[in-house]
Amino acid sequence: MTPNAVSTDSRRTAPNRSDSAPGGSDSGQSRRGFLASTTAVALAVAGGAPLLAACGGGADSGKKDGTTTGKDAAKLLPAFVTSTVVAPDIAPKNGSAAGFTRAIASAELKASVAEKRGKGGALTIMAPFWGPPPAPDNPYYKAMNEAIGLRATWQNQDGNVYDQKLGAVLASSEIPDVVVVPGWNLGGKIPSAVNAKFEDLGPYLSGDKVKAYPNLAAIPTDAWQRSIFGGKLRGLPMPASYVTNIAPFYRKDLFDAKGWQLPKSADEFLALAKEITSARAKVWACGDMTWTAYNMFGVYPGSDKALGWHLVDGKLVNRIETPEYLEALEWTRKLYAAGVVHPDEKTQNQGDTSLRFTAGQCLVYNNDLSHWYAKTSEQAAQNPKFAMAAMDIPGHAGGAPKLWATNPANIWAFVKKGSSKAVIEDALAVADFTAAPYGTKERMLTDYGVEGVHHTFKDGLPVKTDQGNQEVSSSWLFVASPAPYVAHPDTPEVTRAMVEWQQRMGALTSKTSFYGMTITEPSQWTGLMNDFEQLEKDIVRGRRKVSDMQQAVSEWKTKGGDQLRDWYKKLLDTTGSAAG
Amino acid sequence: MSTLDTEKADPAARAATGRPPRGDRRRDRHRSRTDGRVPLGRRLRRDRMLLLMTAPVLALVVVFNYVPILGNVVAFQDYDPYVSTNGITAIFQSPWVGLAQFERVFSDPGFWHAVENTLVLFLLQLVLFFPVPIALALLVNSVLRPRVRAFVQAVLYLPHFFSWVLVITVFQQILGGAGIIAQTLRQHGHEGFDLMTDPEIFKFLVTAEGIWKDAGWGVIVFLAALAAVNQDLYEAAAMDGANRWRRMWHVTLPALRPVIALLLVLRVGDALTVGFEQLLLQRDAVGPGAAEVLDTFVWWTGLRSQDFSYAAAAGLVKGVVGLVLVLSANKIAHLMGEQGVYRK
Amino acid sequence: MTRATETTPRPTSWWAAPARPVWEEPPGRTGLAAKGAVLVLACLAVLVPLWIVVVTSLSSKKTITETGGLVVVPRDITFIAYQELLSGGQVTRAAVVSVLVTVTGTLFSMAVSILGAYGLSRPGSVGHRFILLTLMATMFFGAGLIPTYLLVQTLGLTDSYLALILPSAVSVFNILVLRGFFMNVSQELVDSARIDGAGDLRILWQIVMPLSRAVIAVITLFYAVGYWSAWFNASIYLSDQNMMPLQNVLIQLAQKQEIPVGLGQAVRAGNLSGLAVQMAVMVLALLPVAVLSPFVQKHFKKGMLTGAVKG
Repeated sequence: MTPNAVSTDSRRTAPNRSDSAPGGSDSGQSRRGFLASTTAVALAVAGGAPLLAACGGGADSGKKDGTTTGKDAAKLLPAFVTSTVVAPDIAPKNGSAAGFTRAIASAELKASVAEKRGKGGALTIMAPFWGPPPAPDNPYYKAMNEAIGLRATWQNQDGNVYDQKLGAVLASSEIPDVVVVPGWNLGGKIPSAVNAKFEDLGPYLSGDKVKAYPNLAAIPTDAWQRSIFGGKLRGLPMPASYVTNIAPFYRKDLFDAKGWQLPKSADEFLALAKEITSARAKVWACGDMTWTAYNMFGVYPGSDKALGWHLVDGKLVNRIETPEYLEALEWTRKLYAAGVVHPDEKTQNQGDTSLRFTAGQCLVYNNDLSHWYAKTSEQAAQNPKFAMAAMDIPGHAGGAPKLWATNPANIWAFVKKGSSKAVIEDALAVADFTAAPYGTKERMLTDYGVEGVHHTFKDGLPVKTDQGNQEVSSSWLFVASPAPYVAHPDTPEVTRAMVEWQQRMGALTSKTSFYGMTITEPSQWTGLMNDFEQLEKDIVRGRRKVSDMQQAVSEWKTKGGDQLRDWYKKLLDTTGSAAG
Repeated sequence: MSTLDTEKADPAARAATGRPPRGDRRRDRHRSRTDGRVPLGRRLRRDRMLLLMTAPVLALVVVFNYVPILGNVVAFQDYDPYVSTNGITAIFQSPWVGLAQFERVFSDPGFWHAVENTLVLFLLQLVLFFPVPIALALLVNSVLRPRVRAFVQAVLYLPHFFSWVLVITVFQQILGGAGIIAQTLRQHGHEGFDLMTDPEIFKFLVTAEGIWKDAGWGVIVFLAALAAVNQDLYEAAAMDGANRWRRMWHVTLPALRPVIALLLVLRVGDALTVGFEQLLLQRDAVGPGAAEVLDTFVWWTGLRSQDFSYAAAAGLVKGVVGLVLVLSANKIAHLMGEQGVYRK
Repeated sequence: MTRATETTPRPTSWWAAPARPVWEEPPGRTGLAAKGAVLVLACLAVLVPLWIVVVTSLSSKKTITETGGLVVVPRDITFIAYQELLSGGQVTRAAVVSVLVTVTGTLFSMAVSILGAYGLSRPGSVGHRFILLTLMATMFFGAGLIPTYLLVQTLGLTDSYLALILPSAVSVFNILVLRGFFMNVSQELVDSARIDGAGDLRILWQIVMPLSRAVIAVITLFYAVGYWSAWFNASIYLSDQNMMPLQNVLIQLAQKQEIPVGLGQAVRAGNLSGLAVQMAVMVLALLPVAVLSPFVQKHFKKGMLTGAVKG
């Protein structure tokens, strides 16, 4: 018996969704899942900024399904003009982020925006927020508005229920001027809503027009390509590195102390894991390694439906049809069966794997690359001996793995359809400002607020004040961000290690046939992949057999998988691949 | 509710008609309900105050429940809320598909599997969970020391305010594979165990979690009923030689019966609701084979991918079943001499 | 009407058991032991986890890092998590909002529910079965978020506290429970009042409500707890952070600690653990409940209502 007093509430309550791995299809994400599969290391420097991307990006019915690439896209895409304001300490290579290892004193900051671009109008912006949003009209917002030259009002909505808020707002007649849509909220009918409810920015940005906005012009073309929705350039992207964001971290301090060598193959990994595990001493080798297994075995990405297709010998093959997929599942299943995975990992919402990692109860785990910095800086004060690193992803049979590129943008801001020219230009003014690169006044104001109020310099490093921590809101970054970069001047060695890891992995990375495209699948097939994520979990945990997956795949083929293959093939033939 | 059967006349009727009471209330009620010898207008005038009193509730329910419930017509559509300027006009532009969504629901083996899990869990909760608050209420009620009683009561109802995330975390920390018990066993050279990820015993685990969280909370309705028991009845029963157990059987339980019957009827009507967040949170731990219930199924297959029509169809099915169940349970309660939710 | 005859006289000291009624036989030793054992076990089942939650909320990041999760044995006690939560005035402001919404909402809900429950509790009244069925159907048929959102928006309730009260003001379950108890009120008392010329409102106010104090206390609690712990409507219908009620702010604060932090915050966070903050949030949410508990309980005294019935 549950006497629920306000029953309507409990019925509508949104639960925390289960975690969604890059292996998943298009499920919504819990806060933890959101953090688990994040990328955009660029943001790590912005205090309180959630690091985003990687996951989601399903597609659904729409008036206009398919995608736009090739010649059609070329007409839409903005010209690329690289930014030369500040040279990075570590130049980007192989798709990696740029690295900045030094803090730049305020006197040396450059200006990337020549004048106030805003027309002084009012602009409402709706965006997800994790944590307590700053009060409206606070000094930071005022300073940003003042610098951009408009009056932006933020509607910061709870990130955990943002999918529901978004779904309802888009169904109403009152849509804010600018709406931020993360890729993991693009499930179901939202892509068709994006096409129906948001403005085409092509007339303002396509080709050379973007040059009016130098920081937007410096956003990589990949990211713009990803922002074409329903044949129009609608999104302002938050670019991300296409190199896999899932890094297998290990406790370097403990590995060194015990003399453990990093595994060079799947078998070595398993053998080492058995050696490490001592349940009696409450030490297990690893967390759930499914995501890393996909990388080790060279499985096509599962973070986006279209990315999972690849042209092999003239035939499109889906990730779930490949032997590598089954092998990766089989191997992860062996880890679980050998008892080397921490028991709490079976229930993915039980506590934080990284907490078990820092506690030394679980010595290897995989997560977003940004954890490298976050955990290192967190533990610096707690445990001076603590050291962690990301191991290079081993190839399953030894040697180098075959890695596949993830999407180069996964969060967008859109402008309401029917907005006046003034509103659109104000929105672009905000985007041009927040997309300013590292080392500029605009970037510094966006990330750290006003000097003396929101941050001070300590030993040459900017440190946020209490007021800064409360007010400086990472939401601005959602409107648009610069090309991916890592900047942790407080730990230059970690910054370097992160970028170099990306560069080594980037050298092994190829692109699947639909890389960088936002594709809207015909509605009758959008649900086809729904059950695979759960089946993967069931198999690795030993509840279902690998042969069940083979069964599911053959059902998938007959239920529409084969037709979907033809549909994608046709799309590929008419538009051409964007993959290099 | 024995008072109902022994009460004399319907005073409201008497007040309105000015006629002397009929004597037999049953006949009076029967007559006033069906044969219309008292004209409707007069009955309306007689009961206008009562009707007026229900007006605010009715108004709220009509506006905030019934109006949005109309949105369920999308169950007969392939509804896309974004094809038009807003979600309402979109209803007129979405294609009508007849019963296709219902066919989708019924032809999905996953749906039937979820229904099966739901019913098993419901029966377990009914048998193992439902009586616990009653037993606890009797137990707490038998404590004479007021401080002890207040303490026990306050402690028992606290877990209701724990979130499901926390409840499951606590269970995991104690019963999980790296939990306190398993680790203690390992340190003494025994095998560890993991009660949290075993699909076989999951249904009992869910029930245990539910009892831990909400049984103490459920106690308070029964305590309210116990507070109304006439203490003289106990004395009289004791004088007649009834011992402790007989007094409980003959005095306490009859006093609780109407409440138990009411809550039981409502619980049966809610048979298809056995928890949502609790099960979604533990889905990965045991897999959908054990953890999929109707509500999580609808969320997973419908709402998650904004298949509003599908979700609405499943919701209507669930609603109809619930209504049928509650009316049947009510009927059974009447046959057993209870008031239930309402008298037919 | 008096509540004169409490059958159990007041105890002399707080621990002393009140005098047992003369007619009641003293309990057997085994019975007493069994009862005690069950109660102790039941309480421990709650108190041990509660202990873990409280200890974790008082633990430093170092301790939590070492245990890798919840803390059972306290090592270094620190109030840093509570300081973090209560600094900045957000929580205080949100608590005021929550108290106001809860009090207003509960009073409103109780008023309409008591009226409605009484209006439906008189046997044979015209239309009561139809109205009951109308109400009950809403227990089984719900509406999706989109139609509800559109309704609330059309009524102009978004960004208004009314959006936190009106849509959830009526719980049919609560009305049915109230009605069940109201129907149990002795019909003779009602009849005699009516002969004295009392109307329905007076009967409700002077006879039915005083005799139903226990259930009214329970339902008030149900409504109050519902308003107090609701957060979803606020997260959907409000967009001004300054209007957010306590639960939403607590959820936000718990989330903030989970986000990988940047430079400034990592330095500032120092010895603060995200887990400790989450547990502190849990404790803060429990506090008002624990504080209110005695006020509700005093309405459950055994036989309290008997006297009134006779009086």
